Amino acid sequence: MKKYFLIIVIFVVISLLGFSIIPKNPFYNINWSIMSALIIGLAMLAFFWNFEKQGVSSKEVALIATMTTLAAVSRVPFAIIMSFQPMTFIVMITGYVFGVQTGFMVGALAALVSNFFLGQGPWTPWQMFCWGMAGVISALLGNKKKEFAFTKFIILAACWGFIHGWTMNLWHWVSFVFPLTLKTFLATYIASFPFDTLHSLGNVIFSLLFGKTFYTILQRFKNKIIVVPLDNNADIV
Amino acid sequence: MFIYQPKNTLIHKVHPVTLILYIFIICLFSLTFSHPVFLLGLFIAISMVIISSEITKEWFAYLKFSIGFILIIMIVNSVLVRAGTTVLFWGPRIPGLGRIRITLEALSYGGSMGLRFLVIISAFCLYTYVLHPDKVLKLMGRWGNKSVLALTLATRLFPLMVSDFRRITEVQRCRGVVFNGKNVWAKVKKYIPILNIMLLSSLERSFQLAETMQARGYGLTNRSYYTRELWRPRDLIIIILIFVSLLMGLWLTVKGFPTYNFYPRMEPIKFEEVILAGLFSILFVFPAFLNWGWKKWPLLKSKI
Repeated sequence: MKKYFLIIVIFVVISLLGFSIIPKNPFYNINWSIMSALIIGLAMLAFFWNFEKQGVSSKEVALIATMTTLAAVSRVPFAIIMSFQPMTFIVMITGYVFGVQTGFMVGALAALVSNFFLGQGPWTPWQMFCWGMAGVISALLGNKKKEFAFTKFIILAACWGFIHGWTMNLWHWVSFVFPLTLKTFLATYIASFPFDTLHSLGNVIFSLLFGKTFYTILQRFKNKIIVVPLDNNADIV
Repeated sequence: MFIYQPKNTLIHKVHPVTLILYIFIICLFSLTFSHPVFLLGLFIAISMVIISSEITKEWFAYLKFSIGFILIIMIVNSVLVRAGTTVLFWGPRIPGLGRIRITLEALSYGGSMGLRFLVIISAFCLYTYVLHPDKVLKLMGRWGNKSVLALTLATRLFPLMVSDFRRITEVQRCRGVVFNGKNVWAKVKKYIPILNIMLLSSLERSFQLAETMQARGYGLTNRSYYTRELWRPRDLIIIILIFVSLLMGLWLTVKGFPTYNFYPRMEPIKFEEVILAGLFSILFVFPAFLNWGWKKWPLLKSKI
């Protein structure tokens, strides 16, 4: 069922994109900010649906809530400096240690929760998506690694500052810029460059300051969370 | 802790479904309509609802923030866009862009985009200040049990963690750590252990939280509800009007009224369009009227 859902989502997204190019149907030249929000929403729905269907224990729910809060709390005081904040780092390290599903949930929910305090807006779904993906991408880096790949993590964090900004630019570009040409596209990206650099710099600095200790603490709690049921460990005994 | 504040108006006291539907439909139409008169109508409608829900002060802060943004949209549009025939101003030649040519069409297109942004920002302002986040979470809990539980826990843990931060800073102060120095790096160094301790203690707390959840039987049966939102006649009235406006909006879209061509030359605005836009926006102003009547006549208040 999980796989079917993914296939359905991908199919719907592709057909939506296809319909928007074929002339003479109701979706032709549909407003791009609605279209992109729809696609982002479907992608996130797949993740949330997957999470709902998984047998998640109460400990995992509490852990996700705690890491979400920590990330959201850390974003709010930095809101004045816009993109320089420790939230991305916290989401990424959580994803790195706890895996794709937890990483996505913490990123997406942290964006939502921090916006309860900073103000919701049309940017909320995009931010949820971007931060969720930050968790996913670092989870893919940390997949099945025993040791903490510190340098790789920092490089990824630095790159992610830009990728996050570029994805958010896409929202800005399709929603507020006309005509959608290469020139306006480049202008939008050039305008966002200082903010992205700041974001990337923030990620690197916070990773350097907290990376190793956060990793150790989270890894210890991950070991504590894993419970082996008695009927499954016959071979261990 | 939330920026939401309870107030005694009808808008604050409708069912969350009604309000979310209202905000969603306004955002939808503001995105699909490009005619400036229709956008203006929507903006006036939502402004009246915002004013009647007594959040004008907060709304002005939103507007102030968006005006800068709109100016940027207008400037970028008028500088970069070369379409349009009515030239207002010839600027200097800039390498890569050619000679700057500011047209009335591009400027008004930017303005109309700004109007659309204002409508959406106002809709979200209404959402932020009038709808309690807990109500939304409870509503969504029907579909996404676990993710909403995590979200609800997170909103509850938020103030707790802020007070945690204060407590740990206090403890550190008692141990002789001086936080208000002049050297930035030295200051940062003193905050590092605090964050580490915060992580450690909040993770420890998350385990206790999980154990209490387990002890109370989390996950054994379906979710149970402690409070319930009432579904009142006022919700029905507003929802019917939203439905009517949806039908009217569809009809208008099919007839092609809300589309407007800025390029190459701006279309003249017809009187018919103004009338239709006015009629269309009155449907969205209705909650404000209802609120006014709700305050004025106790009989109406008791009935809806």
